[in-house]
Amino acid sequence: MKSYLGPLNKENPILTQTLGVCSALAVTAQLKPAVVMAVSVTLVCAVANLIISLIRNTIPPRIRIIVQLLVVSSLVIMVDQLLQAFFYDISKMLSVFVGLIITNCIIMGRLEGFALSHKPGASLLDGLMNGLGYGLVLVVVAVFRELLGSGTLWNHQIIPSSFYEAGYLNNGLMILPPMALILVGALVWIQQATRKNTAK
Amino acid sequence: MKNFSNKYIFLYITALVTVVALMLTMVSLGLKPLREANQKVEKAQQILKAAGYGETAKKQALALFDQVTTRQDKNGQEHYRIRCADGSMGQVIYVKGKGLWGPIWGYIILAEDNNTIKGVVFDHKSETPGLGARITEETFQQSFCGKKIKDEEGHFVSVRILPKGKEPTVTEEHRVDAISGATLTSKGVDEMMGQLIINN
Repeated sequence: MKSYLGPLNKENPILTQTLGVCSALAVTAQLKPAVVMAVSVTLVCAVANLIISLIRNTIPPRIRIIVQLLVVSSLVIMVDQLLQAFFYDISKMLSVFVGLIITNCIIMGRLEGFALSHKPGASLLDGLMNGLGYGLVLVVVAVFRELLGSGTLWNHQIIPSSFYEAGYLNNGLMILPPMALILVGALVWIQQATRKNTAK
Repeated sequence: MKNFSNKYIFLYITALVTVVALMLTMVSLGLKPLREANQKVEKAQQILKAAGYGETAKKQALALFDQVTTRQDKNGQEHYRIRCADGSMGQVIYVKGKGLWGPIWGYIILAEDNNTIKGVVFDHKSETPGLGARITEETFQQSFCGKKIKDEEGHFVSVRILPKGKEPTVTEEHRVDAISGATLTSKGVDEMMGQLIINN
């Protein structure tokens, strides 16, 4: 059981494996799109893992990447269509990044590295956990960026207006992509530093 | 590892593609009414914004839109006259063009004199966030307000989108600063503005 919790910390896809960083930088300026993106990726990763695991014995190895891509891209298109139908504003905010879930290395990595060689139940759990591990980083980064960059969380004003009257200013750098990279870097640092202490 | 014949591989991938295609078609067709309803509301919101009504809530947008606009189709194309927030009348002109990655489009509210721009709103399919996508930003769109599309003798000049710092080829009232870093998208907007000549 413990190995499944790995993606949340020690084996985190973003922090340890440095996969899926591109989208982590792009959609974390605000909390809402970050959460939607996290949910979308988790869903795609879990379902793709399950499907590939179910048909793993029928897939000819020579075309396995094509089959994986086919499954992932059709799932992503479905997610995109669902977002457009039910969460139109957010789908506009995420724009191209929903489509880019197809190229998210975390998903292909899990399919190739886990689902092809494990039973459906285990694969579903593995996909879920890796998606959540990715989502966790997204949410943490987004909380910092939205709170310090816009003074809001989930579009609600958090920093009181009296602060602004006293001369407080939002940090404009926070909503730009470079700050996301710095924050992700800081998280990697914290994670590596604490891991060393506990591992030995 | 099992050995798969070429025949098996061809049949396998054909079957898989057919199943996936059928599923995607079903999802797409099933959600079409919802998507179209969302787009209709968004269009109403955009036109209302260009006419100076600011942001309208999703639920009220269509009602308000019906209240302030009259539909007068020209040459089989949708055409609206609108009562702007300041009480004056204007016509809504739909323009479309090419961005860097995909289509861009917009609604331009032209005053009764067929010359002064009262407001614009632009949108895009997949421009780069932070660069080309900034054509949807308030500051860029605001800069079009009050610009003229004809010179004093009544000749069509359009409103040009020109890079800042270069020697301008047209007077102040016929130009707007381009977005730095988004040369091609700015060019696309420039071309779109040129389409206003059809209405004159």
